[in-house]
Amino acid sequence: MSQPATNSNDPPRSYPQLVAAYGFLPNLFQVQSPIPHAIEAEQRLIDRVVIRQNRLSRNQKDAILNAVATVRRSDYCQALFGRSLSVVPRCNSVLLDFSAKLAKHGPWVSGSDLVILKSSGFDEKTVLEAIVTTGIGVMFCALAEGLRPLLDAELTLPARAELLNVPEPLDWPKPSGAHLSLSSDSGTDSRAYLVLREQFGFVPNLYRLQSAVPELLDAEVRLLESVLFTEGGLSRVQKECILLAVSAANLNTYCATLHSQVLSILGIPLEESDRIVEDHSRSGISVTDRALLDEARKLASLPGRTSQRFESERLRTQGFTELQVVEAVVVSGLANLLNTVQAGIGAVSDFPPRRVFGPKDLYPFSDDSRPISNATLSDDPDAALVARVQSGNIDGFEELVRRHSRRIFGTLAGLLGNTEDAHDATQEVFLKVFENINRFQGRSKFSTWLTSIAINAGTDLLRQRRPSEPLEDGQGDEGFRPRQVQKWAEDPERLLAASQMNELVRQAVLRLPEKYRIAVLLRDINQLSTEEAAEALDLSVPALKARVLRGRLMLRESLAQYFVRQDKTDA
Amino acid sequence: MLSCADFLAELGDYIDDAASVELRVHLEDHLRECKTCQVIVDSTRKTIQIVTESGSFTLPSDGIEPIVSGVMARIRQRTT
Repeated sequence: MSQPATNSNDPPRSYPQLVAAYGFLPNLFQVQSPIPHAIEAEQRLIDRVVIRQNRLSRNQKDAILNAVATVRRSDYCQALFGRSLSVVPRCNSVLLDFSAKLAKHGPWVSGSDLVILKSSGFDEKTVLEAIVTTGIGVMFCALAEGLRPLLDAELTLPARAELLNVPEPLDWPKPSGAHLSLSSDSGTDSRAYLVLREQFGFVPNLYRLQSAVPELLDAEVRLLESVLFTEGGLSRVQKECILLAVSAANLNTYCATLHSQVLSILGIPLEESDRIVEDHSRSGISVTDRALLDEARKLASLPGRTSQRFESERLRTQGFTELQVVEAVVVSGLANLLNTVQAGIGAVSDFPPRRVFGPKDLYPFSDDSRPISNATLSDDPDAALVARVQSGNIDGFEELVRRHSRRIFGTLAGLLGNTEDAHDATQEVFLKVFENINRFQGRSKFSTWLTSIAINAGTDLLRQRRPSEPLEDGQGDEGFRPRQVQKWAEDPERLLAASQMNELVRQAVLRLPEKYRIAVLLRDINQLSTEEAAEALDLSVPALKARVLRGRLMLRESLAQYFVRQDKTDA
Repeated sequence: MLSCADFLAELGDYIDDAASVELRVHLEDHLRECKTCQVIVDSTRKTIQIVTESGSFTLPSDGIEPIVSGVMARIRQRTT
């Protein structure tokens, strides 16, 4: 290992910009004293990005930092960032919602999130400033978690904060290119570009996209120089391995790809980097370096394989010096900063990724932290009753029949077109469900499972009744073009008596080809969600959507003759 | 600018409020300029409302208990 960059004989340094920013030198920086060059670079970053009035005000940026500390549940950072925060203006909520999402669910940020910001009047440079400020917040939360500074006398712990409402994301965004279209390469001969070219051999897209705000890029690159490129306690390979492992834990395809390539230049084969990405404990690195990556990964932003906290003592017992332990934390913080900025701006990989992270990589070992989809058992209002019936309590089934008979009857009446048949079929469906109740394993909602049994029973009855009629109508679901384009009356419901309307709709629905009829019944009459209807019919969501749309448009054509406006002035 | 065919391909997500914000912006740009698509959106929404609110396939409230008792009687008969 290299020698520390400083020793105890160095005079204590002062950090005037940090003191100016906070009114004192916070312990978060003092605990990094073994690497003063990193504190200096952090000071510069705070000064250039947070303190200086650029596009966002200091107060807006403090509000972002405070929001990040709140969603990252960092008491220290909430106390620090909340100290200088005055009241958050209401118009900032779009900005804070975005930063909170980026800090908590970075991989789910998509171009749509940035469109919302832009349509709220924030231009791209302002958005970039918000993204980097969020990244700085995430970095400092990781530093506070790893270094655990004592709360400064000047700070007070925040009152138990109301957590920001950050909705659990469910859809993994499709790759769609960079989220920002800032003109890049405006600083091709800048100091930052020279350093990046020297270190990486080229200017990675992550940094290119930030070149439109040169002071921001410069401060970020100086942090890289101080933390990553400068020889300190840990070797460059160890630091790059931390960047790779934390990026993998954060499911950041871009940064994992970039740092695998850098390690390759440093002599580490790509296959070895692949193993670090998948599971570093199975790679060929030393036992001490495995401990280093174990601890670094605990500082990643996304919940990972363990909920354990970073243990500096474990690293010390493995022989790491104080300098190296602090460096490990600071490099992990840097990785979180870069991962957050990349997730925000959506930089596209400079190399073909060897591993593209996706939703299947989420929370591989930590079921408690997995976002819960609507379809899980815990959200199923019937779960407790179903469990009672499965354990032999017949009475519980009576309540299930009562809850669902109206919906199942509606589905079967719409399929069979006859109330009497639907009545009998509904009873048969519930008997079949009771007989098979132990096969229900809770992988979908009970109501979805019940609906799929009803649909199968109904179509079987139709086959018996009309064996020659195919379920498919031989046409694709796409390509239906509306012919009726006259404007409808304002309140078509008022044009007919309720009984006439019911009969009209009944006839129109029954005229639909079966596959469209079933799709419309489930979505518009039974009010199932798109996902539930798709699951009940064993269709993909896009296929279900296509059938529902086609069915609705055909119904519209069929009903139009009764509801078009009688005056001919429009359309 | 989107064509009417592009718009119709996304009509389902637009009506169900499932289009991304970005896509919605493009769809509404088209909609502002296209009277035909305005009519189709309006009349499709009204169709859905009519179908959803109609009682065409609704089991009357006094129809529930006969189904419950019929099902439970057959289950109890089988299990005793």
